[in-house]
Amino acid sequence: MTLSKQSPIAEALDRLWAQFLPEMEQRVATLEAAAKSFAGDQLSIKQHEEANTAAHKLAGVLGTFGLTRGTVLARELEIMYSRENGPDPAMASQLAEIAAQLRTMIESRK
Amino acid sequence: MAHRILIIDDEDDIREVAALSLETVAGWEVITANSGAQGLARAAESQPDAILLDVMMPGMDGPSTFRELRKNPVTARIPVLLLTAKVQANDQRRFADLGVEAVLFKPFDPLTLSNQIASVLGWN
Repeated sequence: MTLSKQSPIAEALDRLWAQFLPEMEQRVATLEAAAKSFAGDQLSIKQHEEANTAAHKLAGVLGTFGLTRGTVLARELEIMYSRENGPDPAMASQLAEIAAQLRTMIESRK
Repeated sequence: MAHRILIIDDEDDIREVAALSLETVAGWEVITANSGAQGLARAAESQPDAILLDVMMPGMDGPSTFRELRKNPVTARIPVLLLTAKVQANDQRRFADLGVEAVLFKPFDPLTLSNQIASVLGWN
C-alpha cells in the first residue's frame, strides 16, 4: 500500500489510527499478559482464548493501517495460540518477543 | 453510479476503515452494522447493492448471517462478499462453498478495496 501522506485518505486513516490506538494497545497488552502467564505455566483457558482473539484481530487490521509486518507477526501468534492444547512450551520466549515487537511497531507508527 | 454497500463487522476499526475506503475512494454510499442480527435488519430495510460480511463475529457469525440473508426473499438476491482474516486453505474452501460471491481477506488495502469489490461484481 502506498499512500501519499498528503492524500485525504491517508489523513483520515491517521485519524482512525489515533482513535483506535487504545484498542490496539489493549490487544497487545492481552498478548503480553498471556505470554507472561504461559512462561509461568499459568495460562488459563480464558486467557488462551483472549490471546487467540487478540492475535486474530491484530492480524486482520494492522496491515490495513500500513503495518504489514505487524500482520505477519500477529498471525504467527494466532497460529501458536490456535493449537488446541495451547502453544508449544518451546515457543514461550517467542510469544513474549513477538508481543514486544508488536508493541514497538504500534507505538512507533506515525 | 453510486452503489450502496452494507458492511457487517463487529470490529469498530475494520468497519470504519472499510467505510472510509468505500466512501472516499469509490464514492459509494455505506451503511454499517456491528452484528449479524443488526446486519439482517439493515439489509432488509436498506436493500443495498452488495454486502461485505465479516466471518468471525460473536453471536451470529458470518456464515450464519449469510444463510439467514438467503432465507429471506427480501435479501436473498443481494450479492454477499465475505471478509476474513482466516488464511488457511481449508477455511477458504469452506467459505467459498457457502455460495458467496467472493471471499476477501483482511488486512485489505483501503486504496483498492472498492476495486476488488467492483471487479467481483462486474461494476467496472
